Amino acid sequence: MENKEVLRQRVEELATRVNGEVEEIIGAFILKVKAPYVIETLTAAKKFADVPCDFLHDLGGLDLVDHLEVVYQLSSLRGPQRLRVKAVVDRENPVIDSVTNIWQGANFLEREAYDMFGIKFTGHPNLKRIYLWDDFEGYPLRKDYVTEPIEVRNIVRQRIEGE
Amino acid sequence: MDVTQEKRLREDETLAEKNVLVTNIDKVLNWGRGHSFWPLTLGLACCAIEMMATGGPRYDISRFGWEVFRASPRQADVMIVAGTCTRKLAPLLRRLYDQLPEPKWVIAMGSCASSGGPFVDSYAMMAGVDKVVPVDVYIPGCPPRPESLLFGLMQLQYKVSNPAKVRLMRHGK
Repeated sequence: MENKEVLRQRVEELATRVNGEVEEIIGAFILKVKAPYVIETLTAAKKFADVPCDFLHDLGGLDLVDHLEVVYQLSSLRGPQRLRVKAVVDRENPVIDSVTNIWQGANFLEREAYDMFGIKFTGHPNLKRIYLWDDFEGYPLRKDYVTEPIEVRNIVRQRIEGE
Repeated sequence: MDVTQEKRLREDETLAEKNVLVTNIDKVLNWGRGHSFWPLTLGLACCAIEMMATGGPRYDISRFGWEVFRASPRQADVMIVAGTCTRKLAPLLRRLYDQLPEPKWVIAMGSCASSGGPFVDSYAMMAGVDKVVPVDVYIPGCPPRPESLLFGLMQLQYKVSNPAKVRLMRHGK
């Protein structure tokens, strides 16, 4: 990447501003921040001079047993730069700000993270389950989720009208 | 109603309808039914690709007269459940089955539809569509090759043409 040094400089500047940590793994920068700083971090990353990381490639949840994480994969249509922002979320009270105001495309991605990990995105326009049905209990991709026994799963669910 | 019981009742009904006067007409009708299935296009996952291949020129399902894949359940009489049925889909699958006009049959194509396949322990999986609809033919494979699907349809053809024989075979006679 020819603009890697510029990107490194920008990321490190940003990290000191938001109390984050920078890591470099296989050529990609990883910026780890606390959940309250996520909007500030991503707004700044979107507006990096010369190396804007203005495209939200993917957004996903992670369960690391003692805490949850939301991972934002950023890239750009105008260059080779990539940045991975990880926001640490509390496991007992998983609340983080929604980035739908920065990227409209985060809408469904955040709903998926809510569906699978139960992370609540404040400010999301329509935060409800996306893959599973509305009355599903629990968050299946969490490490402590226990799958229902086969006898329970074999019962055909009654569909709620207008679902 | 319990699906196992429903299946038994359906088979009993097929036999009870037979009497001396209409037996010969029934034979003709069943011959016609068995040679012109109108399957419902119910591709749920990767098995659908094999179902499409079966419909293509290489395997050519129309050799047997079954090529009329219908997009509406009201025009079909065989439901080929080709793929993974999740618990979210199960009530809708049942609704499609209820909308098929009589007489109707169900083929569970592939290991997912038969018994859950590799996803059997998943939180979202309806392990086997025989908990939702009464299945007539199970086709193993992941996914089954087009030959398997054709063979499965031929088994169904046999079942439709000879209801009494199939019933006896099931009781080991």
